[in-house]
Amino acid sequence: MLILAQLEEVPRHGYEIAARIGDRSGGLVQFHAASLYPVLYRLERRGLIQGRWVEKPAQRRRRYYRLTPAGRTVLKEQRRGWRDFLSGMQRAAGFGHV
Amino acid sequence: MSDFKATVRSRLPNLGLPAERETEIVEELAHQLEDTWRSALDQGATEEQARQQALAQIPNWDDLAREIRAAQVPIVSHAPVRMAGFLDDLRQSVRTLGRDSGFTLTAVLALSLGIGANTAIFSAAAQVLLRPLPFPEPERIVTLWENNIKDGIERDDVSPANFLDWKQASASFDAMATSNPWSFDFIGESEPEKFRGALVSESYFDILRVQPTLGRLFTAADHRPGRNNAVLLSHGLWKRRFGGDHGVMGRALNLNGRPATVIGVLPPDLDLRLHGLAEEVIAPQVVSESWRLQRRATYLKVVARLKPAVSLEQARQEMSSIAARLARELPVENSGVGVTVVPLLEHLVGGVRPALVLLMGAAGMVLLIACVNVANLLLARGVHRQREFAIRMALGAGGMRLARQLLTEALPMAALGGLGGGLLAFWGLRIATVQLGADIPRLEEATLNTSVVFFAGALSLLTALGSALAPAVRVHRAQLQDQLKQGSRSASFGVQTLRTKSVLIVLEVAVTVVLLVACALLLRSFWKLLNSDPGFASERIAVLQQFIWRQYTTPGKRLIYGTQALENLGALPGVEVAGLVSATPLLESSMDSSYPAWVQGEPPPPPGQERTAFHTIATDGYFSSLRIPLLSGRTFRDNDRADSSRVVLINQTMARRFFGAADPVGRGIAVRYRHAPVVYEVVGVVGDVRHESLIDPPRAEFFQPFAQNPSGAIIFVVRSSLDPEFLMSSMKQAIWKIDPTFPFYRATTMETLVKESLAGRRMQTVLLGAFAFLALTLAAVGIYGVISFAVAQRTHEVGIRLALGARRASVIVMILADGLRLAAIGVGLGLALAAVASRALGSLLYETSTADPAIYAAIAALVIAVAAQACLAPAWRASRQDPLTALRTQ
Repeated sequence: MLILAQLEEVPRHGYEIAARIGDRSGGLVQFHAASLYPVLYRLERRGLIQGRWVEKPAQRRRRYYRLTPAGRTVLKEQRRGWRDFLSGMQRAAGFGHV
Repeated sequence: MSDFKATVRSRLPNLGLPAERETEIVEELAHQLEDTWRSALDQGATEEQARQQALAQIPNWDDLAREIRAAQVPIVSHAPVRMAGFLDDLRQSVRTLGRDSGFTLTAVLALSLGIGANTAIFSAAAQVLLRPLPFPEPERIVTLWENNIKDGIERDDVSPANFLDWKQASASFDAMATSNPWSFDFIGESEPEKFRGALVSESYFDILRVQPTLGRLFTAADHRPGRNNAVLLSHGLWKRRFGGDHGVMGRALNLNGRPATVIGVLPPDLDLRLHGLAEEVIAPQVVSESWRLQRRATYLKVVARLKPAVSLEQARQEMSSIAARLARELPVENSGVGVTVVPLLEHLVGGVRPALVLLMGAAGMVLLIACVNVANLLLARGVHRQREFAIRMALGAGGMRLARQLLTEALPMAALGGLGGGLLAFWGLRIATVQLGADIPRLEEATLNTSVVFFAGALSLLTALGSALAPAVRVHRAQLQDQLKQGSRSASFGVQTLRTKSVLIVLEVAVTVVLLVACALLLRSFWKLLNSDPGFASERIAVLQQFIWRQYTTPGKRLIYGTQALENLGALPGVEVAGLVSATPLLESSMDSSYPAWVQGEPPPPPGQERTAFHTIATDGYFSSLRIPLLSGRTFRDNDRADSSRVVLINQTMARRFFGAADPVGRGIAVRYRHAPVVYEVVGVVGDVRHESLIDPPRAEFFQPFAQNPSGAIIFVVRSSLDPEFLMSSMKQAIWKIDPTFPFYRATTMETLVKESLAGRRMQTVLLGAFAFLALTLAAVGIYGVISFAVAQRTHEVGIRLALGARRASVIVMILADGLRLAAIGVGLGLALAAVASRALGSLLYETSTADPAIYAAIAALVIAVAAQACLAPAWRASRQDPLTALRTQ
């Protein structure tokens, strides 16, 4: 879900995805290359994301991943699941509604 | 910076993907490292530090390669690539098992024991009960017996005249033949030796349809009177006594004082057990006219081969109607005599079937318990890893993929369990064949048979897969948030899992209780048997049997021989008393004969309705050496001679059955041997003795003095002050002083006979005991595991209780109560099951009720005690924990 969420707006390459997750979670969630790329390949295989080589002027080509329609649906489902779970946790743990 | 590409290429193991794709992946990973490196430089790191940081992105290149390989498996898959994933799983699971050696060892051991016990028992059972006999169309071979339902006799030997009538009148059989137990005194170069054997009538081998290993079988000419000097040797005897020498063919052996020509050697594996032990020498039976006259003497075994179109049932019906006709025509001899037709295989193994089935059941239960344990272990691990799997699923791993990984983890365990089980079975079977080969027909040739090995393989695979499947299925079905909800930071487990495990434990305890009850019943029965009073003393008694009819043809000669032999024996130092008898307890080769009898003065009952009694010939010394008590009257005296009045001693059972409460001493008893009854005066009553086995109730028996009826079948019974084994050879020498060419049919001790008669039961009890012990141990391990698991789950709760001031003792009690509740439910269920299942034991028990409440109570107490023991350690641990640590675990 975390990865899918990073691709919601624009296609991104691997390093960018990992960096964004790290930044947005305030450093709590860190993805190393060792765990990131296998997951990316698996998501790609399952048709949730699609990778494409993009060449930009003055840069070497990079592989950008974008969300497929199927990926979008899965992301929505997973978001709902996590939201339910988290709000349940919050209520149970007594943090009150956020 | 392009040198990261080179780094990645050199470090990343070959992925086995198309070159183009591989290049892409290398390039992408290189970008990643390069970006990391650049960002580290931006943040002020040195060149070297930045490089280190970049490389730290990928701590283990092998793992990465594996992950990528697995991720690259297309959804519409090609088999080879999927196989690669499978091999990876397998490799990983072997590593996991290696790391978790305690778990692996427990599981493998449990599986090995369960599989080993099953493989061995089922191999033996397949060998003994199922393997066809080594004859063509063996199912058509039957044995025929006289029966007498009224007297409770189901299978008795057949009289020659009845055999001739059956053979003539029946149309169901291709051929019918007799076998008559016979012994052959062999005088060779060394000590005279007795060979066991049989005389077989014409067409005996046509029924079996066997081919000789050497030479030929009997022809019709061999059965003609005066021409019957050919003999066949058993394969065993040929090997043992003649060293497998082909030159034995055509040799004339001195058998029973006449020359007999060896015409052939029989194939191995030809043991019909018609006469208790395998025959060593077979000679042709001459069927003479005298057979027509022998209607009451039953001593023949009859075998026949059914015609192809005739069923067993049809043959039975035909034989019944023939027997009914004979009973009508010959009421004196044949009233009440029927025919029992039994397939040969059934005759051979019918007796051991209940014990084997019992052991198969017990082995099955042990396997069940082993499976439950392994399932419990795998469940616990599966639960432990559910969160790991949930996270992997959240990150996109397929459910099937994870389930497959769990299943492949079960594989190496199953393989090890199967291997261990195979080895145990191999050893177990070796021991069993050596220990029991002589007692259980056809067991000697038992080996692990291939189908059983496959059976064990399949069994171990199924067990492990089945056990792995539960958590695997759960993971596959898992709702993500459920998994994560149940997950806690340290250990993860679900209430549902605990419930599954509890059910398994209850089941395990129940099965254990069933096994223990069965074992306890057998033990009790065995103990009773050991302590049952056989009616005679067996310590320091030598038993030496000879058959002397052929050499000592008249009663006078036999009397002189017997008296002289007893004198020689009595003169030996160490000998306390020597006696002589025609039939001793527990000796299979004893000549037993029973005759109709009634009290003199009463009207003789109509033929076929008389009570029968066994006729034994003895000297005084028989009673004193075996310490058989004289209850009233006197024993034999020197002046009870051939020419004095005929006297008998009767045993207690006969006194009760024939005279009731009246005193039999001085009364007369009439016995019908052939036609006219013979009357004896009862001079005394002696104690009962168990004859056939230590279980059979004593039989009505009367004893005639040897002096009045010198029998040709004699057994010397000698009580000594020393171990009779030491004296055995000097006893033989003392008897050989009279005739050095005269062999002993059997020379042994009474204690050996007692031991032999108990051997089968001892082994049964020992095996079942071993299984029950195994079951108890496995159940204890299972209970321990589940309680530890439950305690770990409640660590937090216990911590709160302790923090709130609960006493440690009450924590122990609480946890004990949890475990014992499970055990109690299991015990209750087990006792109920045992009460039903133990009825199947009935025929194997001796004077032991299957509903003995003391046994049930004792087993319940034992299992509860073991369960308490298993709960104690986890309970103690829980109560000793530091409340703060406990609270922190949540």
